Amino acid sequence: MTQPIKLYPRLTKVVSHFKKYDIEVPKALLEVKAKKPDLSDFPYPLPQRKKDYTCYCEGPEGVMWYGSDGGVTRYDPNADCLDDKVMYMSAHRDLLDNHVSALVTDGGDGVWVLTDNGATHIAMVKMSMEEKAYRLLDETLTYVQRHGMVSQKRLSEAGNLKSILPYGHSDNDGSFSSCFAMGEIFRYATLKREKGDFDEETMEARRVAFRASEANLLLMYIAGRGNGFVARTYLTSSEPVPDDGLFYKKNGATAVCLNTTDARNRGVVGLEVKADAPIPERLRKFYTEEGFEDTDITYKGDTSSDEITHHYLHLLVAHEFLGREDPEYDELLKTAARNTTKHIIDNNFALREADGKYTTWAKWNKEYFETAMGWADACLNAGQMLMYLRVCMHITGESGIWQETYDKLIELGYDKLTVEHRNRFHHMSIVGGVEDREEMMYGDHMLACCALFGLVTLEPDAERKELFREAFRTWRYTLAPEYNCGYDFLYFLSDPDNARPDADRIRTWFYRFSVSRLASGVSINSRRDIPKKELMGGYKETSALLPNDERFIAKYDRNPLEFKSEDSGGVTCVESCYPYTFAYWLGRYFKLIEEGNE
Amino acid sequence: MDKTIKLIGNAHLDPIWLWRWQEGCGEVLQTFRSALDRLKEYNCFVFTCSSAAYYKWVEDIDPQMFEEIRVMIKKGRWVPVNGWWVQPDCNMPSGESFARQALYSQLYYYEKFGITCKTGYNVDSFGHNAMMPQLLNKGGMTNYVFQRPDISENSEIPENLFWWDSPDGSRVLTYRTPTGYVAHGKEDIDYKLEILNQRAEETGHGMMMFYGVGNHGGGPTRGDIEYLKANLERDGFNDLEFSSPDGYFEDVLNELIDLPTWDDELQHHASGCYSATSLVKALNRKAENALAAAEKWDTISSIVAESKSGTKEFESAWQKVCFNQFHDIMCGCSIMEAYEDVKESEGYALNIASEKYNNAVLRIARKIDTWIEGVSDPVFEERHHTGSDNGFPRPVVVFNPHSYDVELPVRVHHPSKADTDSEGNQVLFQNVRSSRSNDSHLDTLFVAKVPSMGYATFWLEVDREAYAEKEIGAEQNFLMENEFMSVEFDGQTGYIKSLVDKATGVNLADDNFLAIPTVIDDHKTDTWAHKVFKFNEIKGLMELVEIQRVESGALRSVIRTKHKFNDSYLTQDFILAKGQKTLKVECKAMWQERFTMLKFAFPTGGKDAISTYEIPCGFIKRPCNGEEEPALNWADLTVTKDGKRVGLSVMSDSKYSYDCPGAELRLTALRNVIFADHYSDRPAADFNFTDEGLNRFSYGVYLHGGEAECSDVVKEAHLFNNNVVAVPESYHKGELPQKDSFFYTNLDNVVVTALKRCEDGSGDLIIRLYETKGIEDSKGYVMSKLFDNGFWYDIKKHEIKTFRIDRDTNVREVNFLEGIIEN
Repeated sequence: MTQPIKLYPRLTKVVSHFKKYDIEVPKALLEVKAKKPDLSDFPYPLPQRKKDYTCYCEGPEGVMWYGSDGGVTRYDPNADCLDDKVMYMSAHRDLLDNHVSALVTDGGDGVWVLTDNGATHIAMVKMSMEEKAYRLLDETLTYVQRHGMVSQKRLSEAGNLKSILPYGHSDNDGSFSSCFAMGEIFRYATLKREKGDFDEETMEARRVAFRASEANLLLMYIAGRGNGFVARTYLTSSEPVPDDGLFYKKNGATAVCLNTTDARNRGVVGLEVKADAPIPERLRKFYTEEGFEDTDITYKGDTSSDEITHHYLHLLVAHEFLGREDPEYDELLKTAARNTTKHIIDNNFALREADGKYTTWAKWNKEYFETAMGWADACLNAGQMLMYLRVCMHITGESGIWQETYDKLIELGYDKLTVEHRNRFHHMSIVGGVEDREEMMYGDHMLACCALFGLVTLEPDAERKELFREAFRTWRYTLAPEYNCGYDFLYFLSDPDNARPDADRIRTWFYRFSVSRLASGVSINSRRDIPKKELMGGYKETSALLPNDERFIAKYDRNPLEFKSEDSGGVTCVESCYPYTFAYWLGRYFKLIEEGNE
Repeated sequence: MDKTIKLIGNAHLDPIWLWRWQEGCGEVLQTFRSALDRLKEYNCFVFTCSSAAYYKWVEDIDPQMFEEIRVMIKKGRWVPVNGWWVQPDCNMPSGESFARQALYSQLYYYEKFGITCKTGYNVDSFGHNAMMPQLLNKGGMTNYVFQRPDISENSEIPENLFWWDSPDGSRVLTYRTPTGYVAHGKEDIDYKLEILNQRAEETGHGMMMFYGVGNHGGGPTRGDIEYLKANLERDGFNDLEFSSPDGYFEDVLNELIDLPTWDDELQHHASGCYSATSLVKALNRKAENALAAAEKWDTISSIVAESKSGTKEFESAWQKVCFNQFHDIMCGCSIMEAYEDVKESEGYALNIASEKYNNAVLRIARKIDTWIEGVSDPVFEERHHTGSDNGFPRPVVVFNPHSYDVELPVRVHHPSKADTDSEGNQVLFQNVRSSRSNDSHLDTLFVAKVPSMGYATFWLEVDREAYAEKEIGAEQNFLMENEFMSVEFDGQTGYIKSLVDKATGVNLADDNFLAIPTVIDDHKTDTWAHKVFKFNEIKGLMELVEIQRVESGALRSVIRTKHKFNDSYLTQDFILAKGQKTLKVECKAMWQERFTMLKFAFPTGGKDAISTYEIPCGFIKRPCNGEEEPALNWADLTVTKDGKRVGLSVMSDSKYSYDCPGAELRLTALRNVIFADHYSDRPAADFNFTDEGLNRFSYGVYLHGGEAECSDVVKEAHLFNNNVVAVPESYHKGELPQKDSFFYTNLDNVVVTALKRCEDGSGDLIIRLYETKGIEDSKGYVMSKLFDNGFWYDIKKHEIKTFRIDRDTNVREVNFLEGIIEN
């Protein structure tokens, strides 16, 4: 990529709902007589049948809004890209329900929509992609973050941010928070380069980046086992402990495993484990400033390779941009890297739980690779393990045991294993009677990107670096159709000779990313313009990748092609902004994208 | 690791080869009877058999035996493989043909036996195009078995078991059998088991041994089964197990084993087969195109004119085409008499196509409003000059079956003095000599601009005064040019001496003549040309007898050359029309030169030569090493000349064979060898020769800047093979406008190969399209009046997509089996 792709300010949906007779609702909306539109020569696919459209109104510059029993269709004949020619807005992401009875313009670029359950104002606000990043960040910091970690928060009422529950954790707090932190670090690095160290915006970005990074790094220390064990997440005494996983309540010198279903199944209820290894004050502040002590902490164990991989890429990024200007913080990063890497090496390339057994999903050893379950995972996990060692060597500046271990793993063929991903994965899919996209754990996509980006970036041997690029390419057959800028930017940076950035797709990804991370479904089943494709095992996908704001979800660990109206996790939550901010600031920092003026 | 040798009891059945199909049919009946008997005698025995066409024969002729087979299939003792109508040649059928091979066969297996085949199986076919993994996957198959080329013919391909990928990312687990598809008798079996045992040890995985008497059917004998039974656990050998290819692949996948991958084609075995027996190749191409186009119009008519769709008739016609794609038929290596049968069955298919086509377009045409106030008689006829007697122009409706707009000359069989389109604009036309000797001797050629999968009406005023000898006269120079190219012929040789691409300014013939009819000595090979991969022994160049310009008008020029070589003659009409990117060459060859090939040579010269060839639903680049290569509608040579990348594509209406020795592209037009000669000792006899006598064919030359895949070669070649149709009409009222399009896709790199009704009788529409330019991923949409809406789709490099639209306009993406078979 030679020239950054320019992103221009764009009209972006901002949706507000009202009761039908709310004073804000324009009288015209209630009085307008619906007229059926003539769509006989409509030049693009329409989400609904033509006969189902019952009303319309015209906005400025030829923009048309059409209402139907299946939602709202916006047509902009002058849109400069195909994805924006026809936009589809539906319940409940954009509307209270899909039964549209009247439409009037709002006098600007937006529209008022009357449906059975009330009125909706869809404002079309012109905003830059940077402005969108800030709006998303603001929402995340206001509603989503929990002790500085960001993943998601539950709501008691779908679509209502004010109904947010004050507690709630995610199994993957470590992963999501790592990505969020990396995004904010890249923001800081970008602004520092563009505006200088002492610009107010830069200084605010620095504060946010450090806070995000520190909150995330705390997870590598908080267990206090003194052996580099990394916690999935933690709760304070003000938060209820869910019956979902292994939780350890810290009681001083030890922590005790609480009585949960998983703990009972594993036979570790009441098991005590060391918990008094010191936690740096700089990191403890996330709970001490909230008035909690170490003994108020309950952390979650049984950590998986997902968290570890995200943590290591975070260590690398934090070291490069924060550690280099803050030696004290750098030392915390290095210590975490040393401790956890050593833990993994000492435990036969696995994370070991308090009961002496491996955690369920953190195994990088040959024995695991030779099991039926581990055989296909081996290609990803081998790359992850090599990446951890490379990151550890890079940020500590040490070789010794890290290099010896790396060499040993190379001898065992770990590097060559990375290129077998597609073969082994496809092999297992066929055995399972399903297609690759059905077999895929979509969270693995980001893991592969993190691991292989790290390896390609840090590997000094040219031949092996090329091998890791080849390994990255073995993932592209499932990665590429997603057009996820977070994945693609890491790939483009790793394999520039084979990078084929599609500027239109990249722009659409940013332009059509919703300005809020409030979870909500869309109405895909009634769409006539999107073919449904049933895979061998019965899994359903769309034949065309929908823009972010028209698909059921916009996350990194889901299949964006899934033919689905809403996430299985439901709509009562608000997600972190990182899917957008990570990609945006990574792209900005590496000059893959830049803001353009109209 | 399990290294068991799976014993695959089979009978290789050639329905036509050294015998005609009637004998092949009998051979199937006998073999199936024998297999059933063996299955009853030996509980361990499993029988494997491909080709839905054979089962259909049995069902029609011997329903009782068919029932026995059905029972054995249900028990898993009889395993159908290869969800295709026959074991076709895997280089020359079009992508749409492969789709039909799967569609009609898998649906047949599903209907009759409740199963679909998971394993593709073409153990005798002579090469396998690079798109096969996709064609197999989309036909419901995940595994593949082949034999040719063997390891001695191509050692770069992984030796036995590997993942085979096509450019869109599809893949099949593929097994190359090292011991053929026939093993019979103790000695032969032992020899082959020895080889397989060794391979199992070397690879660490199991192997398959195909045993049974084959080619003319037969199958496993009692003696073979008894011998194998006695040796299932022989000391020092891996275990043997009676099984099927499905069983083999299932078991091998249960082993955690890393296999090599291959992402190229599987070539070459019998390089003479791409050109032997032009007749069958020409009929195949013609039938494929005629059926696809007829089916599109039949479907459109069924909606626009509410006519009954001809799905069943098309099924029957396509099955004939699929049958004739059997490798020994399509490859031209069967006995001469077999091609009489081919003519019959392809004629059946072509007749269905032409009737359906005609009925459909006329039904549509009659709904077009062509009424002119004042016309009293709808039709007036004066010999062949049909029209109004009041001086009104006559409507001619031109139908375009392609998914892109076209603009090209169209012929009607009378002379004109004026021509306008439906908006009243003057249309360029030219009166040209007709093929008849009656009346004026003149036809009209006019430039028709017709929207994608649509029609346009033109208004022609008949010129009753015109007469050929008055009108046609041409100055005698040998230069033709239009907006895209200029072509000049050498008066001494009749070869092209200058061919300039006007976009780049590059002369492709600056150092050499082009379009040189070259006679190649081919007496050393057999019909297949086994073990011969290059045809380079030039016997001589054809010599000019006559050159003349026969037409020179506003619309087109025609230069005719006549060459001879001993007693063989070749007449070529080089036709260059205004607005046309392709120089068309209509050839008539009277060929009597035994053991020869006729090639048209285009030695462009230049550097960095890259040759590109069309394969089913895609293209492939191959080294310019002079090996004979198969291609569908076109082949291309792109070189650097004058510092610019420029390409010359050659397309044809019936040929499949090219070579590219360096910066030279050669179309192989004729091959004259003895029918079905397998390196015989050629006893003294009055043999018949392939391509002997009169051969008519056309080829075209298209020039472009840049690489082949960035050009319009696919669309040009498809248009070359599937012209628009002009329907002379009369005056009537109607609800349709004079010009309309029924279907459109916005992507320049996508063409539609099928528009049909679903086979399940639901009335759902089926649309199949594919990506032509090798672009990694495109997002496009389709719009159609047929369902009054459109839909979006993503499409990968060379990907084939099939969509099914129900009556309520819900759209599903399905595979070749049209979503009829539930997962």
